[in-house]
Amino acid sequence: MGIISIEKADHLFWLGRYTERVFTTLQTFFKYFDRMLDMDEKAYQTFCGKLTIPVIYENMDDFIDKYLFSLEDPNSVYSNMMRAFDNAVILRDELSSDTLSYIQMALDGIEHAKLHGNALAYDLQPVKDYLYAFWGCLDDNVEDEEGRNIIKCGKYLERLDLYMRLDFPYFYIEKEFNKFLNRLYKIRIGYNRKEADKLTEVMNLKEGWIVRQQDALNALWNIF
Amino acid sequence: MVEHMEGINRLMARYGVKFGIYKNREFHEQLFPFDPLPRVISAAEFRYLEKGLIQRVDALNCFLADIYGEKKIVKDGVIPEDFIFSSKGYLPQCEGMMPPKKIYSHISGIDLVQAKEGTWYILEDNLRIPSGASYPMIARELTRQASPRTFMRNHVVDNRDYAGMLKEVMDHVNTGGIHVVLTPGRYNAAFFEHSYLAERSGAILAMPQDLYVENNRLYYRQYQGRQLQVGTVYRRLSDEYLDPLCFEPESLIGVPGIMDVYRSGNVALVNAPGNGVADDKGIYYFVPHMVKYYLDQEAILKNAPTYLAFYESDRKWILEHLEMLVVKDVSEAGGYGVIFGKDLTKEKREELRQIIIREPRRFIAQEVVDFIDLDIVEGDGGVPRKADLRAFVLSSGTTKVWPSGLTRFSRNPDSFVVNSSQGGGFKDTWVLSQ
Repeated sequence: MGIISIEKADHLFWLGRYTERVFTTLQTFFKYFDRMLDMDEKAYQTFCGKLTIPVIYENMDDFIDKYLFSLEDPNSVYSNMMRAFDNAVILRDELSSDTLSYIQMALDGIEHAKLHGNALAYDLQPVKDYLYAFWGCLDDNVEDEEGRNIIKCGKYLERLDLYMRLDFPYFYIEKEFNKFLNRLYKIRIGYNRKEADKLTEVMNLKEGWIVRQQDALNALWNIF
Repeated sequence: MVEHMEGINRLMARYGVKFGIYKNREFHEQLFPFDPLPRVISAAEFRYLEKGLIQRVDALNCFLADIYGEKKIVKDGVIPEDFIFSSKGYLPQCEGMMPPKKIYSHISGIDLVQAKEGTWYILEDNLRIPSGASYPMIARELTRQASPRTFMRNHVVDNRDYAGMLKEVMDHVNTGGIHVVLTPGRYNAAFFEHSYLAERSGAILAMPQDLYVENNRLYYRQYQGRQLQVGTVYRRLSDEYLDPLCFEPESLIGVPGIMDVYRSGNVALVNAPGNGVADDKGIYYFVPHMVKYYLDQEAILKNAPTYLAFYESDRKWILEHLEMLVVKDVSEAGGYGVIFGKDLTKEKREELRQIIIREPRRFIAQEVVDFIDLDIVEGDGGVPRKADLRAFVLSSGTTKVWPSGLTRFSRNPDSFVVNSSQGGGFKDTWVLSQ
């Protein structure tokens, strides 16, 4: 690693984003799943609203099925995992076959759960495990810091975006914001400094950031 | 090994050991089925094959240098010029070009079969971009993990340094700069191999858009804007798409100007463009003649008995014995264009006869070599299936044969066609050290 083309930098960045999207939306899905089971069958609509994805689902069961497993639904976990794989597969020489194998297994895990699953949380746990293993393997196997910074910049940008949208407590948001900035300053990709400063300004409001939630999100989306 | 078959195939899936195939214009990736029973080649047999393969590839390299240079073999009447200049693989754009270190075929994939009585026959030479080495490479890694003691007991030559041999080839011809493996992209049938070989050999996997030409040098485009010169391109895309300024102008996957850089000696292309003229199925007939002509030796390895429809006497024989021959269209590859006379209806056979009469240069015919079956695991037992061997010969300062190879087998009990694109599987190839 160390010799990275423009296209590979792009794939590294998006690999970071999509793997994180799968991981965090899976985690959050189960919180909403709980809510739907107990009292609020339409909680999925709130979930979709926060992620600004269209509510194309007829009911709770339709949401569970399509949002997790439909390739026709571009916002589904499966579609996002497929995009993570598409970005990863051309990075074998950067990531190593061992690191790449965890992305393959996470994808296979979703396909397996789709075909054979009957206990969602249990069946999808391996997907999260493989993604954890992927991140660990990446740190362990990929020597070059530059590539790691790009992929982690994508990862923390995505996580920050999702945490801000999904109303995570400020404590978590602040932690992810710091991780993101740390990587942002290290990568040698041009970014919009004004927007980064604007985001910092909102984050400096601490718990009060929420009153300017949309400003923070806009700044984050415009950094690249 | 048989006990571990399922586990090994699971590991293959984990590592994405796949090949791509287009069906109804759609790209599908599928696992390349692995059979755990290896083909075993004794040490003595390998020494014999090694000698014959080195001789053959050396002669083919001499032929390529001659054809794009003086053409003595044509002038001396050893090969009719019809077989050179009408070959699809002959590229007039390569006339007078001499590749770095004068090597044309750096990586040669030579397909062989072993007849039931033991004789090895060459089926075809692949000198353009032969693929397949990555599969036995990774299979050995995984089978050694699954059943290490099998290897301890059987004295199998370690084949895991193919990437090292490949690097040696790239180092030898490098004109100054990094090594890249140039892939047409993610949706190429052999993409797994491209990415795996890049990883293992320490080369950079490059997409066509990552490379550009400036001041008659080839560069890799880095994301920070830094220029990085390329010294060797192990290109895994066909000649016609390599450079739109030199070959197919509509190619979107080529690198404009790369042929000029190559012509100036500022980059090495592995394998050299224009090699197709030497692995044309029509030229195959003449390889033993090349061995004699260039090396003044008798060919050690035999061709399968072959007839050229181009020669009147051969044509007459072909037309009279069509039902016992396998007819090959010289312009096809990958198991396509192979017709077994015995499988044709009377009408279809007559149709083929007429095409051969009309286009004799287009066809060769071979006697069907009754090659040995190798057992593959099916259900609880073993069943015999036809299998060939692709040997990999690497040419740098010296010519070397990789002590392994890709053994492909047909999964269909009635078929002689072993290509992966036709549904075949593969085995590891063990060369014994004693």
